[in-house]
Amino acid sequence: MRNTWAICKREFAAFFLTPTGYVVVGTYALISGLGFTASFIMHCRRTQAPGLHGFTGVPDFEEMFLSPYLVFCGLLVMFIGPLVTMRLLAGERERGTMELLLTHPVRDREIVFGKYGAALGMLLVLMGVVGIHLLVVAHFVDVEPAVLAFGLLAAFLMGAAFMSMGLFISAMARSQATAGTLTFGLWFVFYILGTFAERIPGQISVPEQWPAMAREAASLVYAFLHGLVVELPLDAHAQDMAQGIVEPADIAYYVLFSGVFVFLTFRALESRKWRA
Amino acid sequence: MIEVRGLTKAYGPIVAIRDVSFEVEEGEIIGFLGPNAAGKTTTMRILTGFSPPSRGVARIAGFDVRRDPIEVKRRVGYLPESVPLYPEMLVAKFLHYVAAVRGIPRRERSREVDCVIERCGLESMRRRVIRNLSKGYRQRVGLAQALVGNPPVLILDEPTVGLDPKQIIEIRDMIRSLAKEHTVLLSTHILPEVTMVCERVIIIHRGRIVAQDSVSRLAQEAENEVQIEVLAGGTPDEVLRVLRAVPDVVGVSAQGAEAYIVKASAGRPVAERAASALVGAGLAVRGIQEKARSLEEVFMEVVTSDDERGPS
Repeated sequence: MRNTWAICKREFAAFFLTPTGYVVVGTYALISGLGFTASFIMHCRRTQAPGLHGFTGVPDFEEMFLSPYLVFCGLLVMFIGPLVTMRLLAGERERGTMELLLTHPVRDREIVFGKYGAALGMLLVLMGVVGIHLLVVAHFVDVEPAVLAFGLLAAFLMGAAFMSMGLFISAMARSQATAGTLTFGLWFVFYILGTFAERIPGQISVPEQWPAMAREAASLVYAFLHGLVVELPLDAHAQDMAQGIVEPADIAYYVLFSGVFVFLTFRALESRKWRA
Repeated sequence: MIEVRGLTKAYGPIVAIRDVSFEVEEGEIIGFLGPNAAGKTTTMRILTGFSPPSRGVARIAGFDVRRDPIEVKRRVGYLPESVPLYPEMLVAKFLHYVAAVRGIPRRERSREVDCVIERCGLESMRRRVIRNLSKGYRQRVGLAQALVGNPPVLILDEPTVGLDPKQIIEIRDMIRSLAKEHTVLLSTHILPEVTMVCERVIIIHRGRIVAQDSVSRLAQEAENEVQIEVLAGGTPDEVLRVLRAVPDVVGVSAQGAEAYIVKASAGRPVAERAASALVGAGLAVRGIQEKARSLEEVFMEVVTSDDERGPS
């Protein structure tokens, strides 16, 4: 535990000893701030003249502003996150400090948790930026604090899932550049997949002349694939949560997603023992 | 303290080290000598628990590197060849971090860091960023991090590579002073370093140990054979015949015009005898010089004779 903390602290401090930390936080603050301002102005216009924008009543604040904005903040981590995760393990390998790290009396899990902890620390800083926006919201809009808190939690969980995937790729890659590019690419594929999900029909039409068993099998396989595409994308489970509608299943999804990738990271690190 | 038996490491089809066995007693300072790519780093990485062996056993203070890697790592301070450090950190902060991961209790960390900073002569550099340090100071920081927690075993991979002569002397002195409290395994491809720093030497070549003995005994072996350079007039045949007839001469070879190399078993005034023999035969002696064989030549001999045998 002490080692995990030491590794985490060093890694987190390193972000702010190099320009990386400031670039990440600065860029995130800039883009999320622009997004916040733009969507806030948009929402104000819609509220003032709902008819003009095709609404029949005053648009719902949580649904029309809060949720899209928070999901946007979560997705923004996707663009900024590779800068954070690529250095975690690939950076150590690239600089040769991995040799030092692995010859110190620390366990693999302490390294993995320490590194993931540092990434989550960065994420907390980013969520701090979003938190400032939400404080502004809380000041001007009559909205329950719990809704804002859960919204922030949704964005954080989404970011944490992104980070776990980045950590895993960082454990596999030899150079930071590879890790960063690959991470971004993979995240983007996930995201694209998510945008398609709504347009995919829920059922497949199987030719009538197929035997009953084949038809059943085909629709089962399709349902599975359909489920993957609809449920797997990282923003899918955040939308409701960001409106304050919290389902344990949604939280479990993110925790599980992160858990799987942290576990894979552990295995990737361990692979040095049997790989040449 | 260090026990290695039948250690083999293969990277796919390439065998980096093959059946390496040696032992190091507590408090010894051992030179691990070999040309580049001989398998020094591979062996050291196994001993530090960085990479596991393909076959064989390596134990440090009784702990197996494969079964108790954490216990092994607790007892080993390691300075990798490339001296990897975190360039953005301050020297003192970095050593604090190392103290933390080496399991030193929070209250004792500052004292421990002060102690290694003093031992490595880094007082004036403690508030410097590692990136801005010279190569020599970086090496010291690397050594300092290996010393944190005072591990009984120190494994230093080519600690003097890339330093200027003054720095090399400083680092060597430092290593020699460490030997009092630590068992030191030091790799190098520079021979004088071994004679200056180490008590015992293990010569490794092509992944196998080709010789291991105390430095003084290897040096003595070197002295046991004397080489004499002779410059003499007369036909080569005649000179060779006269020189070969001198007692204790093991071999003679011509080295270009009028120059000969005489090999003789040591401790005898062979040079004088050769001179008088040549003069007695009516040949002109222009010069005669006795040359002691250096450890370097022993090393070269060991390595080249192994090369001739070829890889097995």
